[in-house]
Amino acid sequence: MNTNRVFGMVPCIIFTTATLAFCQADAPQAEAPPPKYDPASVARGKETFVGACGFCHGSNAKGGEKGPDLLRSVIVLDDENGKTIGPVILRGRPDKGMPRFPYSAQQIADISNFLHNAINSAIDRDSYRILNIVTGDARHGKAYFEGAGQCVSCHSVDKDLKGIGAKYEPVTLQGKFLQPDSNWTEGTPPHSVSAISVTVTLPSGESFTGVPLNYDDFNVALHDPTGTYRSFKRSSKDMPRVEIHNRLQFHLDLLTHISDSDIHNLTAYLVTLK
Amino acid sequence: MKYRFLVPALLIALLPASIHGQILDPVLLTKPATDAWPTYHGDYSGRRFSTLSQINQSNVKHMTLAWIFRIKVGITPNAIVGGEGPVPQGPPSDPGVSTIKATPLMVNGILYFSTPDNAWAVDARSGREIWHFTWKTKGGIHIGNRGMGMYGNWLFFETPDNYLVSLDARTGKERWHKEIADVKQEYFSTPAPIIVGNHVLVGTGGDSLDVPGFLESHDPETGEVQWKWWSAPLKQGDPGFETWPDEYAMRHGGGMTWLPGTYDPGLHLYFLGTGNPNPVLTGRSRKGDNLYTCSIVALNVDTGKLAWYFQPSPHDTHDWDAAQTPVLIDAEIDGKPRKLLAQANRNGYFFVLDRGTGQNIVTAPMIQTMNWSKGISPNGQPIPDPGKEATVDGVLVSPPTGGATNWPPPSYDPETGLFYVGTSQSFSMFYLTDTDPHPEGWGAAERDAGYYGGDLEAIDIKTGKIVWDHHYPFGGGPVGILTTAGKLLFTGDGSQHLVAFDPANGSILWHAGLADDLSNGPETYLLDGQQYLVAGAGDQLYAFTAEP
Repeated sequence: MNTNRVFGMVPCIIFTTATLAFCQADAPQAEAPPPKYDPASVARGKETFVGACGFCHGSNAKGGEKGPDLLRSVIVLDDENGKTIGPVILRGRPDKGMPRFPYSAQQIADISNFLHNAINSAIDRDSYRILNIVTGDARHGKAYFEGAGQCVSCHSVDKDLKGIGAKYEPVTLQGKFLQPDSNWTEGTPPHSVSAISVTVTLPSGESFTGVPLNYDDFNVALHDPTGTYRSFKRSSKDMPRVEIHNRLQFHLDLLTHISDSDIHNLTAYLVTLK
Repeated sequence: MKYRFLVPALLIALLPASIHGQILDPVLLTKPATDAWPTYHGDYSGRRFSTLSQINQSNVKHMTLAWIFRIKVGITPNAIVGGEGPVPQGPPSDPGVSTIKATPLMVNGILYFSTPDNAWAVDARSGREIWHFTWKTKGGIHIGNRGMGMYGNWLFFETPDNYLVSLDARTGKERWHKEIADVKQEYFSTPAPIIVGNHVLVGTGGDSLDVPGFLESHDPETGEVQWKWWSAPLKQGDPGFETWPDEYAMRHGGGMTWLPGTYDPGLHLYFLGTGNPNPVLTGRSRKGDNLYTCSIVALNVDTGKLAWYFQPSPHDTHDWDAAQTPVLIDAEIDGKPRKLLAQANRNGYFFVLDRGTGQNIVTAPMIQTMNWSKGISPNGQPIPDPGKEATVDGVLVSPPTGGATNWPPPSYDPETGLFYVGTSQSFSMFYLTDTDPHPEGWGAAERDAGYYGGDLEAIDIKTGKIVWDHHYPFGGGPVGILTTAGKLLFTGDGSQHLVAFDPANGSILWHAGLADDLSNGPETYLLDGQQYLVAGAGDQLYAFTAEP
């Protein structure tokens, strides 16, 4: 979380990839890494497990009336390709009422892969899938959009937000008002816009405005509209004078007073703008 | 290049007996550091205040760079290799391995520090490597390592695959290693061991699966376990069991011991902040306060028995571990001298306790965006708002999981009476993703929302009021801090500068541009009559001195 290294990276870090640039195409999705466990083996293992083991251990292996949660089992966690669970499956645990299952090495390896895949799904929190977030009342969302939320002071459902509900799935759509991107394209001809700009005014009165690349207590650097890099030493807090403007300040301020139900209602309303 | 590698090798090969005086005098540990930095925080108090004043407000502007040491990790040509894992294919690529988060020990002119799987001895005068040890890992998350502990000639550090490794400080050769936790259960270890008497105190981490946390005391000679304290009860009837619904929940309840603690020799108590409960972001299967997770605990250092506890985040559901340094402070409250403990907590509150009893004296907010608490209970605990626990359709919470602050060490300056900490303000949406009655792992997803910059805060320990604040619109945040009797505060600004502030009012007095952000707690020591300031930034260690 404390990784804001350079100002140049800040727009990405602060505003992530969501954007109010509704006319701008989304960045291509990062390629997903290959699955850690062979999906075909996991599927076979699941079938075997649900049929034979699910009655006691639960079909999701999280435990049932008789059998323990296998996703938290140390024997399973220590297992690789069935080496430690194999003997338990083959011999059973007569003392605990578990029968023996005469499975092949492949079947045991498949069960192992199914269990480890499930464990990995709990471990890998980046892979967690967000469920249905459209629970709000679209009418209340519309009222918020037009009233207390003051969204209409910048946006219109007939212009920039037209069809927005069809362009993005709900989680992305919600992210666009909670954390809009600081870069987007607008105007005719279309040109890229950065939400954050900096103006540096020298004692002579000469001033420079552009996209900030670095801003700290000692230096400020920007790209001016021609793309020229300019940097200035800050000899004191006000010398030279530095002003930061954020066109999305409203969205930052919004977070300090919007309620969770307003978030849910507004999301439900935006989803209807097909 | 060859020559530079050869020299330390020769020194070790030919003159092991003549490198005299590595040995750590245990008395050093009990007094404020001056000519040594013998333990993670410099001394047991965790205040990271040095009584040195050779570098001071009048000459700080004339500090010069003495040397830079850049670490080279993995199986380097002269590395001493240990470990149980396979020989790695190529150099380590995880950025955590090449980031110095350790506060180096400095004993008799030699710096000792570690990163995940790697440890070094470096000449504190010249910045030249004396030896480098590297560990073949079996796995584990390689996010960071806080450094080493020292007992006589023996060094101790922990690895991501959960071994306590002891090295001979004179040679870098391994004495022994002991497994402290199972990497297959997703434990990984980051703390710097703290040595108290003949106890090597080691903690562990890992909250991806629902495993229990603990602190262990090891014998420095044999490595054998002397005692083990579990941070949650193991069975019905154990202390704190009434704060969990059942044994299954408590035995999978988390409470990791991520960071080194502090110690009061007079009270004979070791103070430690514990980690968050598991599953991390949903509490439906663990109703209750979930003791002793997210707690500040006082343990008898000889037995590991709990003397008292205070829980900053009862029934945490936001990953706000209470692992941040419990800083020991002696000060007057209402005209009476008190033995205090202060913590700037990840949950956004600043706490001051009586360290003899755990009784709360101050609870005060550190950030403005915080929205998860319904108020403060009569005993000083924040009261969580159940409405801010993750739901399927999401709730907006500040601070996010990363917290208002985090592991980087804060500082207390007894001359100003102020506690200094780096903070950050932002929100996140928390979405419940595991709706099973027995969720596992984290159980919910987080999405960032809003960032309001970081702050260096100076907090009055008697009131919790912020006396001064330096705001960074685009940087700062949790970062390591050192204060000194030279009336100086050293820290990083999140923009690759090492900065000296006036601790009384926050004026900036000096800065130097580094090649990376400050990544550890800065330290200072006197060597050959000269005061050094040493700070880690990424893969480099920088040493500054003032012209005498």
